[in-house]
Amino acid sequence: MSTLNIQKTGTCCRVIGLQGDSHFLSRIIAIGLTPGCEVEILRNRKRQPLILFARDSMIALSRKESENILIKAL
Amino acid sequence: MTETTCCCPVKKETDFRNATGLYIALLGQPNAGKSTFFNYLTGSNQHVGNWPGKTVEKKTGMFVRNGKTYHITDLPGSYSLSANSQEEMVTRDFIASGQADLVCILADASQLERSMFMVADYSGIKCPVILIINMIDVAQKQGKTINGQLLEKRLGIPVVLMSASQKKEYDSFIEALDRPLQSLKTEALFAKYKEALGNTFTGLCELTKNEDCKFFSSEWLAIKLLENDKDIILKKRKQNLPLSIENTIKVGSCKFDWIKELLDGIVTGGTKNSEKMGRFDRIATSHIWGKPLAVLLLVFGLVMSFAITVPWMFFSFKLPRIIFPFIHNWLSGLGSPGWTISLSETLFNACGTSIGMIGFIAGSSLVFGFLEDVGYMARVAYVFDGAMSKIKLQGKSMMAFMMSFGCSMGGSLGARVVDSWGQRVLTMALAWLMPCAGTWAVISVFGTAFFGINTIWILLSMFLCSAIIMLIAAKVFSPKLVGKTAQYGMIMELPPYHAPKWGSLFRLVFSRMGSFAKRAFTFILGVTAVFWFLAFTPDGHIENSLIYKFGTYIEPVTMWVGLRWQTFVAFVCSMMGKEAALGVLSSVFGTVSQVVGRGEVSPDLATQMSSVLTKAEALAFMFAFYFNIPCFVAVLSMKEESHSLKWTLRIMAFYITIALIMSASAYYIGMMIF
Ligand SMILES: Nc1nc2c(ncn2[C@@H]2O[C@H](COP(=O)(O)OP(=O)(O)O)[C@@H](O)[C@H]2O)c(=O)[nH]1
Ligand SMILES: [Mg+2]
Repeated sequence: MSTLNIQKTGTCCRVIGLQGDSHFLSRIIAIGLTPGCEVEILRNRKRQPLILFARDSMIALSRKESENILIKAL
Repeated sequence: MTETTCCCPVKKETDFRNATGLYIALLGQPNAGKSTFFNYLTGSNQHVGNWPGKTVEKKTGMFVRNGKTYHITDLPGSYSLSANSQEEMVTRDFIASGQADLVCILADASQLERSMFMVADYSGIKCPVILIINMIDVAQKQGKTINGQLLEKRLGIPVVLMSASQKKEYDSFIEALDRPLQSLKTEALFAKYKEALGNTFTGLCELTKNEDCKFFSSEWLAIKLLENDKDIILKKRKQNLPLSIENTIKVGSCKFDWIKELLDGIVTGGTKNSEKMGRFDRIATSHIWGKPLAVLLLVFGLVMSFAITVPWMFFSFKLPRIIFPFIHNWLSGLGSPGWTISLSETLFNACGTSIGMIGFIAGSSLVFGFLEDVGYMARVAYVFDGAMSKIKLQGKSMMAFMMSFGCSMGGSLGARVVDSWGQRVLTMALAWLMPCAGTWAVISVFGTAFFGINTIWILLSMFLCSAIIMLIAAKVFSPKLVGKTAQYGMIMELPPYHAPKWGSLFRLVFSRMGSFAKRAFTFILGVTAVFWFLAFTPDGHIENSLIYKFGTYIEPVTMWVGLRWQTFVAFVCSMMGKEAALGVLSSVFGTVSQVVGRGEVSPDLATQMSSVLTKAEALAFMFAFYFNIPCFVAVLSMKEESHSLKWTLRIMAFYITIALIMSASAYYIGMMIF
C-alpha cells in the first residue's frame, strides 16, 4: 500500500482507500476518486499539484490532498 | 430554525414566484456547460445579482417558447450537494424552498460516468428532474454512442441528448419540458445503500422519517448524515449517530457502483487509447514552461486587446478635440458665458474618455472570453495555484492582476474568470494595488522632479509596501469573502479544450459594452461635472474655487499626513482618474488656468512644485497617490462586477485609509531622511 503523492509520472494505480476529514472526502468522492477507481499519473513534480487521469477526465490535485489517497500500483 | 421544521428551510413559496410559468433550476458539475446552456436560452433576458445575504452570485433569466414562459435559475455550486460551501448550501436551500418546479441536471457526455455523480447525489430529492446529456458532439468525436431511450427507462425521467453550443438542438429540450414532470427512480441506488450499509442505513432512514420535509426524502437525509453533512448533523446532534469515515466512503462507492450499472450498455464505443494529455497541455502545465507560457499568452492578449482598441481609443480621445473648437466658436458666437464653454469642454472630453474605455472593455472581454471559452483558464489556475493560494485566491486571479497593469478596469474584467464570487471580489480588490498606466505616468513625472534617478528606490519601496498591503488586505477581507474553502488544496477538473463559440463570445462582448456604456455615461459625466464645479473659477484663479477653499481649510488636518492643500487636492482629484493628477497639479501650482478637463501638464511644473513643497511632502504625496483608489471608473466596474455596493464601499474605505497611512509614514520617514 502506498499513497498517491509518491507515484511517478506515467504509473497506473488503483485507489484502495481515502483518509482525511469529511470535507475532503466529500470533495474527492464528488470528483470521482473513490476506492476501486483506476488512476493514471500524468504529472507529478515537486512543488506542483499532481495531474491525474481518472474516469475519462484530467484532474488536478494538490500535493497535500494527494497524501490522503491510498493506492495500489497496477 | 426550530426542531420541527428540521432540515427544510421552509420559506414562503411565493417568494420568487410572482409570475406565472414554469420555474426551472439548473444543476450540474463545473464545465458541464451550464453557463453556455443558460446564456443560449435566456439571451439578454438575464439578471445577475447576489443571493440574499450570501456572498454567492445568483443568475436568473427567462425565455418564452411556443407561447409559454419559463423562468430559469442557474444554481451555483461545485461538484456535489454537500454542505461544503456557501454555493452548495444556497443550491440546497433553493431546492428545499420549493421555488423550482423542475430541476435540469446537466451532465457531460464525454465524461459521463464522472459527471453523473450529480444525479446520484440528487437521488432522493423529490423535485422532478430532466437530465440533459450535453457535449454530445464531443462524445461523438470520441466515437461514443449513448442510448438515451434506455437511460430514460432506467431513470424514469426525460433524458435529452444535445450540444448546448448548437442552437438547433434546443428543440428537443423544449419538447422534453412539455412532457409530464417526473421524479428520479431511486430503488436501485437505495438497494445499493442497504446492501453496503445494512441496518445503519435503514436505521437512519427510520430516524429521519418523521422529519417534516417536503423535498428531501428520509433516505436522502440519511445518506447526508452518513456523509457527515455539517448542516444536517447540527440539527440532529442529540442522537447518537453512526458516523465514520468508512461510512462516508461506502456511500461514495455505492454512488459510483450505481452509475456504473446504470450506464452499462448505454455508453458504447470510444477509443480507450487516445492520448490523455495533448502536446499543448504538456507545455501548458509544465513546471518550467507553464508560467512563462501563461504570461506570454496574457501579454499577447493584452497587446491584442490594445490593438483592437487603440485605433478606437485614439479616435475617441481625439474626437472631442477636433469637434470642440467648433462648439467653442459656436458658443462664444452666441455670447454664452465662459463657464458654459468650460463645462462643455470638460464634458466633451469625459465623453471621449468613456467611449475609449468602452473600446478597452470590448478588447479585453474578447481576449479573456476567448481564453476562458477554449478552456485555457483552468491551466492558468493550475500553474499559479501555489502562489495565489497564499493570498487565498485561485490561480486564475493572476489574469486579473496582469491586466491591471494596463488599466484597473481590466483587472475587474479579468476577475470574471474567477468562479467563486468571494474570490472574485477579493481579486478585484487586490488588483487595485497594481499600478495602472496612469499611475506610472504621474509617479515618474513627479518623482523625477524631486528625486531624479533616486525615484527608482522609491518605486521599489512602493512595490515592497504593495506586497505587504496585499497580504494585509487578503487577511482583512478573506474571512468574509472566501471563508474556509481556500484552506483546502486544489481539487479541480482540467476540462478538455473546446473550439471557441464565436457567436456567444461576441454576444458577451456586446452585452458588456452595453452595460458599461449605460452606467458609464451617466456616472462619468455626473462625477466629472461635480469635479468641474468644485474646481471652477470664473476668473481663472484657483484661489476662488471651492476646492481651494476646502483644501486650505482642512490643510491643518491634511498636514498630519504630510499633504499640503495642493497635493491634497491632487490626491482627491486623482480618484477621478490617476492621470488627472498632473493636470490638477499644474493648475494648483498656478500655471494653467483650468483644473479639470484639459489635463495639460505645464512645462515648468517641476520647478514650481519644488519651490513650494519639501521633499518629505513630495514623498508623502507620491505614496498617498500610489495607494489611493485607482479611479472612479474602476470603482464603477467593481460595483458592476460585484453587484455589491457594501463591498465596493468597504474596499474603497480600505484603500483611502491605507493611502493616508502610507502618506503619513512616508512623510515622517522623509523628514528624518531629508
Ligand atoms: N463542443 C462543445 N462544447 C461545449 C458544449 N457546451 C459547452 N461547451 C464548452 O464547454 C466549456 C464549459 O462550458 P460552460 O458553459 O462554461 O460550463 P459551466 O462550468 O457548467 O458553466 C466551454 O468552453 C463551452 O464553450 C457543447 O455542447 N459542445
Ligand atoms: Mg459557468
